[in-house]
Amino acid sequence: MKALFHLIEFALARVLLFFFDHLPYSLNCLISKGAANLWWWADFRRRRVAQENILRSGVETDPKRARAIAKRSIQVFSMLVFESLRSDQFLEGEKWRDHVKLDIKPDVLEVLEDPNQGLLMAAGHFGNWEIAGHLLSRYKPIAGIARKMNNPRIEKLVQSRKARARFRPIPKYDSNPGRLMEVLNEKQILALLFDQHAGSYGMQIDFFGHPAATYKTIPMLHLVTRTPVCYIECIRTGPMQFEVTTSNLIQKTQSGNKEEEVRSILEQLNQHLEMTIRKDPTQYLWAHRRWRD
Amino acid sequence: MSDTSKEDELIANLRIIIEGCATDPIDLSNFSTTTKVQEIGLDSLTILDMFYDIEQETGISIEQEELVDFRTVGDITTLLINKGA
Repeated sequence: MKALFHLIEFALARVLLFFFDHLPYSLNCLISKGAANLWWWADFRRRRVAQENILRSGVETDPKRARAIAKRSIQVFSMLVFESLRSDQFLEGEKWRDHVKLDIKPDVLEVLEDPNQGLLMAAGHFGNWEIAGHLLSRYKPIAGIARKMNNPRIEKLVQSRKARARFRPIPKYDSNPGRLMEVLNEKQILALLFDQHAGSYGMQIDFFGHPAATYKTIPMLHLVTRTPVCYIECIRTGPMQFEVTTSNLIQKTQSGNKEEEVRSILEQLNQHLEMTIRKDPTQYLWAHRRWRD
Repeated sequence: MSDTSKEDELIANLRIIIEGCATDPIDLSNFSTTTKVQEIGLDSLTILDMFYDIEQETGISIEQEELVDFRTVGDITTLLINKGA
């Protein structure tokens, strides 16, 4: 029964991909928007979470405008999925220059161009983080934690569509805890989204003035492996148009006060993300439960 | 101090460090040089915490390539002894 369900799901995904590949861009945009609107109306819980998060953050105080931002943010997320699936077409070779404005800070560029250094790349659920990863994989192979699809056929399909030949997914529940360190030891880029609710594993760090449980993985990897960290944002500026910007390197050395060092790095990352979100709140994925209290 | 007693001391210290780092309950009743790190059930964050604390406790700097090259508790104690702990 399960196998049959997976087969049907796979067939539907193939049909959808066929349309994505063959329909004009503008029509695909409409389909993405339609799918997002459908999701918006169907998923009451996410809709409410998104609105509550926006009001809580203070980026908008009017509930009606918060609702509009929340709805738009779902549409932007839907576009992320669609544009990421097509990214191999518009980012290949030198084509990316027509679509992406890239601003890599000199100290980060130095690390990217040094074959003897790895890089920890921290991003939030903003704009199109997939495009950011895709672009930086031009410098070094990149690895990131990815949740495996429940359907193995879909998983295989998604992996085959990931144009980033130099992207290596690390399963979310990998049984080998040293896998992340291996990536850095191979002097590659480890890209991690740091704005997920970390529960009891996290440290309470202010996000828009409210404590949010934040994963300590990035600062701990930095402190132990001495791999530099940078924050990266990818703002969607138009159809297939993006601005990818990095921060300068964030570097700390062990002083013995682990708690304070971790806190300092996470505070910097959260501040960067807040600044990014304020530029265009509609591009943040408000629907995920950043604050759970 | 002989290598064996040094190793015993390191194992005892390592056990204290791991107990301090672990966020979930772990079973260290059979903690020895042959214990596989993966079998203890340490997650990646606990392992990072552990290495941070080892460096702080011993004053030894562990290189990046050495961090991925361990499977058992014995591998860690050997590394520390070789580095002069």
